[in-house]
Amino acid sequence: MGMLDHIWLGIVTVFTVDPVFSVAGYPVSMTIIMVFLGLIFGIIVGAAPGIGGPVAMAISLPILISIFGFTPSALLPVLGFLVGIMKGSTVGGAVPAILFNTPGTPDSLMTTLDGYPLTKKGQPGKALRVAHFASVSGDTFSDIVLITGAPFLAIIVERFLDFPEKAALIILSLAFVSAVVGSNVWKGLLAALLGLFMAYVGTGEDGHPRLSMGYDNMANGFPLISAVLGVLILGEVFKSLEDMWREMRETSTITKVEVKGDNKLNLSDIRRILPYIGISASIGTIVGALPGIGNTLAATLGYATGRKIHKGSPAFGEGAIEGIAATEAANSAVAGANLIPVLSLGIPGNISAVFILLATESIGGFVPGPQVFRLIPDQINQEMVYAFGLFTAMIFANALNWTIGGIFMRWMGIMIRIPKQRLLPIVLLLTLTAIYVQQTSMFAVYVAIAFGFLGYLMRKLNLSVLAFVIAFILANNLEEFMRQAFAVTGADPWFLFASPVSISLIVFSIVVVVFFARNQKDLS
Amino acid sequence: MQKAPWTVGLAIFFVAGSLFTLFVWIPIDIETGVIETFRRRVTIGDAMAPTVMAAAILVVSIVMGILAVIRPEPSTSKVKEGLDKQSFVFLARLIVAVSVSLALMVYLGPLVVDMVNAFGGEIGSYRQLRATYPYKLIGYVVGGFTLIYGIISIVENRFSANGALVSIIAVIVITILYDVPFDNLLLPPNGSG
Repeated sequence: MGMLDHIWLGIVTVFTVDPVFSVAGYPVSMTIIMVFLGLIFGIIVGAAPGIGGPVAMAISLPILISIFGFTPSALLPVLGFLVGIMKGSTVGGAVPAILFNTPGTPDSLMTTLDGYPLTKKGQPGKALRVAHFASVSGDTFSDIVLITGAPFLAIIVERFLDFPEKAALIILSLAFVSAVVGSNVWKGLLAALLGLFMAYVGTGEDGHPRLSMGYDNMANGFPLISAVLGVLILGEVFKSLEDMWREMRETSTITKVEVKGDNKLNLSDIRRILPYIGISASIGTIVGALPGIGNTLAATLGYATGRKIHKGSPAFGEGAIEGIAATEAANSAVAGANLIPVLSLGIPGNISAVFILLATESIGGFVPGPQVFRLIPDQINQEMVYAFGLFTAMIFANALNWTIGGIFMRWMGIMIRIPKQRLLPIVLLLTLTAIYVQQTSMFAVYVAIAFGFLGYLMRKLNLSVLAFVIAFILANNLEEFMRQAFAVTGADPWFLFASPVSISLIVFSIVVVVFFARNQKDLS
Repeated sequence: MQKAPWTVGLAIFFVAGSLFTLFVWIPIDIETGVIETFRRRVTIGDAMAPTVMAAAILVVSIVMGILAVIRPEPSTSKVKEGLDKQSFVFLARLIVAVSVSLALMVYLGPLVVDMVNAFGGEIGSYRQLRATYPYKLIGYVVGGFTLIYGIISIVENRFSANGALVSIIAVIVITILYDVPFDNLLLPPNGSG
């Protein structure tokens, strides 16, 4: 079976398997419904204060798995919903930034610079339409790069990398993430090493679970979902609660805006913003494909580049639609490209990819990595079918975003009225409940809370939580590749330097750390 | 020079922790060595990965600590680092709220069942009743309410009727969300043990 056969099977699986009802004789599949629901949910949570895509994914995952079960047929509906959230939340995030000068997430900060001035001029509708158009354009561009690039990258990786090179590649990825996230390379490395070490507790090949201190609960190590959600979600909730406690209460007031003037997105506007969208989408895609660097840097670079090339009035920062377009195209273009490392290399480079990986690990039947795109003579590679199914779901989500996303987005202004200090404790209970229903163990809840406090402390001490989580997830793969590499090289202790490719990857890891240690900059 | 003390403290903590791990924890809690030989076959043992990580943490912590002393980051940095007195006060309150809530969640249901039995109800043990209304929800609803309302009250620095109403509604909605549509989902603590 060739690549085209797998692409076609992926498309057919998304649109025809598990039809729920028919519209004019055409079946509407469960995956299609889940993508739609995920997108709407994503837009809502993106516009809500204090909740973003990651929190929504964390809460949804156990419910989705409970609904669809642990069979491979659950994969595409669950992944479709998560993809919908991912795309919806990037669009929804612009709403509070434009209407209320309140960036819901750090990457929306730049959107406030021109979005809110436009709102004050009485043109919130135009600002929202520009943000939507730019965001979906950037996202679509990024998806095209993902869909065309990831399979080829995976094929190259699979052809040229054996166990020693795969181990070296994970080391390079961790070195890169540690170096670029946060203000201090050494702290980044410390966070990654801590993540690796904690993942080795309770695991191993021997009958005695290592470092488990005799506790039966620890015999299988820290539950992955508890550790990841604890550090990423609960840590952030605890930190945000403290920030609000310090401020006592948010003092921001809802500004009444009188809508006046041109609020449509005209053809002339599109012509004005297209060059900015093109440049920012490219920046966002490149940034998104690199592990560890996120939306915020993409938005900042996109805005800064746009400001450099912008001439005329209004200037950037005074309500220029080009400013909104440059920011939104850049931070949305990160979304699709984010999945390039996880699908082609099996390395999650960011939080969205972490949740995609958690979903596939929980359900089974699909392990993201280069083997996904391996062609097997006269056989169907089911994993490749799922991968192209995922791409189809992403394209469908984009189509929905183009058509109805903007309408839902413009309704979401109401979400800002929800007080964040009341929403976050609810998110906390939801997350703990989600962890419990998936693991059915109070131990998993206690671990999540403990990791939550660890995540809180890491944030207070500027230790990168992303480096920690990515290292925690990759730890067992790294150890397994090391064991295999050691075995296939005949117990050669220098197996990491066994080939020019692995030598290059290790040398590059060292260069990355040294370079960023000498030129410390906050890229987070 | 605001940043140095916390970074140095962090370095000292991890140096001590990694030394303890290398020389005490790993030797007593891992049964295979760094390298294992079995029937002339040499393999990597379970101790290899934790040993390499602990050693790397030791080296990175020493470098980080030395750099923090000889090249401290300027105090003009925008990023505030470390915990102050306020942080500890908040953490203490948060830990109390979370602990009380979880204790209620886990123990209230069995306690209520024991009390009903003590007053002659003879309804059986909690284990037998953990799929039965209202016993199966008592712990979750009361514990969940305490968690949400407790934290809202901490952050707002007051106990408000409005906050209580929001908490009750939230717990009821979450309970309905998980309990009503899914027979196979068990709310805390009903799936444990």
